[in-house]
Amino acid sequence: MRIEVKLTGALYDRIMRDLMRPHPFAAERVGFVFARLGSLADQGKLILLNHYHSIPDQQYIDDPAVGARTGSETMTWAMQAVYHGRAAREGIFHIHLHGHNGETGMSNVDSDEIPKLIPGFQSVGREAAHGIIILSRDHGSAWVWLPGSKEAVHAVCVSVIGVPVFVFERRISK
Amino acid sequence: MSADRYSRQSFLGRNAEELISRCTVGVVGLGGGGSHIIQQLALIGFQRYVLYDDDVVEESNLNRLVGAKSADALAQTPKLQLAKMMIYGLQSTATVRGSACRWQENPEPLRECQIVFGCVDSYQGRHELEVACRRYLMHYIDVGMDVHGKETPVIGGQVILSSPGGLCMRCMGFLTDERLAQEAARYGSAGPRPQVVWPNGVLASTAVGLAVDLLTNWTRRGRAHAYLSYDGNQATVKESITLRNLPARTCPHFPESDIGDPVLVEL
Amino acid sequence: MESPEHQLEELKRYCTKLKAVPEGGVTYLYLEQLRLPAGCTPAVCDGLLCPVARDGYPSRLFLSVQVSSPYTRNWNVSNARIAEKNWVAFSWKVELKDPTLARLLIAHLNGFTKEK
Repeated sequence: MRIEVKLTGALYDRIMRDLMRPHPFAAERVGFVFARLGSLADQGKLILLNHYHSIPDQQYIDDPAVGARTGSETMTWAMQAVYHGRAAREGIFHIHLHGHNGETGMSNVDSDEIPKLIPGFQSVGREAAHGIIILSRDHGSAWVWLPGSKEAVHAVCVSVIGVPVFVFERRISK
Repeated sequence: MSADRYSRQSFLGRNAEELISRCTVGVVGLGGGGSHIIQQLALIGFQRYVLYDDDVVEESNLNRLVGAKSADALAQTPKLQLAKMMIYGLQSTATVRGSACRWQENPEPLRECQIVFGCVDSYQGRHELEVACRRYLMHYIDVGMDVHGKETPVIGGQVILSSPGGLCMRCMGFLTDERLAQEAARYGSAGPRPQVVWPNGVLASTAVGLAVDLLTNWTRRGRAHAYLSYDGNQATVKESITLRNLPARTCPHFPESDIGDPVLVEL
Repeated sequence: MESPEHQLEELKRYCTKLKAVPEGGVTYLYLEQLRLPAGCTPAVCDGLLCPVARDGYPSRLFLSVQVSSPYTRNWNVSNARIAEKNWVAFSWKVELKDPTLARLLIAHLNGFTKEK
């Protein structure tokens, strides 16, 4: 199944500016971006990123073993946001930045920890798509759990519809 | 493929070919304007196309349809087929998804595009394309020309860039309730409109230039909207005067929340 | 667009489900399985009510299919695309001062049964 992700240039810039800000102790920043669904040909799906939530500094937990860890307050907020977005079938994507160039995948910590959030989001926002987006300095990858699905689909591309246009294509399936 | 092929467009930037080749471009309407656009996109190196036109070549098209031959009018070659031959003749490995129907009858392929060219001939048609481009996040480049006046013909036209999050065709003063109403009132009585090749060429070239700039940013202008007005009698293309006194800096007609498949909320 | 609840309840009597769909700054009202006046074929189809000015009309009722009716109408919209569906409409100008939604709908449906 073909899944593509799109966002505007303005949203991409906002996300990158926020994720690149240094944090007092965390090595990385994380955020949440909300998304609506679109239908493509041949049962494919389009994930349209809509708005971004920056996690406040004070919600991070100082854990040197990982790039970033946030507390229960963050998850509570996220679940409430998914709940409020139910009518619009708006889903939530965990998003963070790896500080290198080129296509990126999930680190061991990413793949151990982040997918565990998805079933909770799905239980609240059953008709929405949820997932994970990881950006690099000049690329982006997305893993999408469609409504009702236990497995993620690695999106074939992430397009930034701005000036200029970026098309981050998946070369490696991870 | 020789490295020389695109050597004359190296000023577009080091990665220009790759940026252009990754873009999926939609062209709705493959007539006088659309056929010009197709030729230029293929020459420049675009590889991925989504095309729509349900019409065939007729005798009256042969004064302006790029790529058409007299035999095509006799054979009533579909305009879509003409466009495919143009593309494959220049880009043998291109991916072309074509629909010999109105785009509204098969809208899903269009949503994969990053840039859509609208070469339709009604205000309502332009409005509907713009709505789709806002819903599914695509840059929309509108192209159109007209000849009016009998005593002293006046050739006019426009190229408009409407981008998600930016000013729309209403904001820029092109689409108005008055124009839509007048068009609706004239329904069925429009008849064939005057069309000639050289204004189509000017407008198509301008539109393609905007698209290449969106991908490569070679001018560094970072233009998020544009309304370029063509005066065929003066042979000029200038920024429309309606942009000088824009009432809004952000678009009130397309809220950010209106994206994706429509969600009907039961009342 | 904000509508009082009683207006929406009134409107629901004419269809099986009533839904709202925003597009381009307008909130359209989607009337699923709208019951058409006697003499119309089909007797039921989906309707989309635009309660604000559009295309030179103060309001407009779009339908999912073209309908035959006692009087021949000018179907001057054969393929309007709204909310990712295709709609048709006939030319019928409704000019009422501050109508309720139900009165507006009835005035549009009268287009099938009134000569002019």
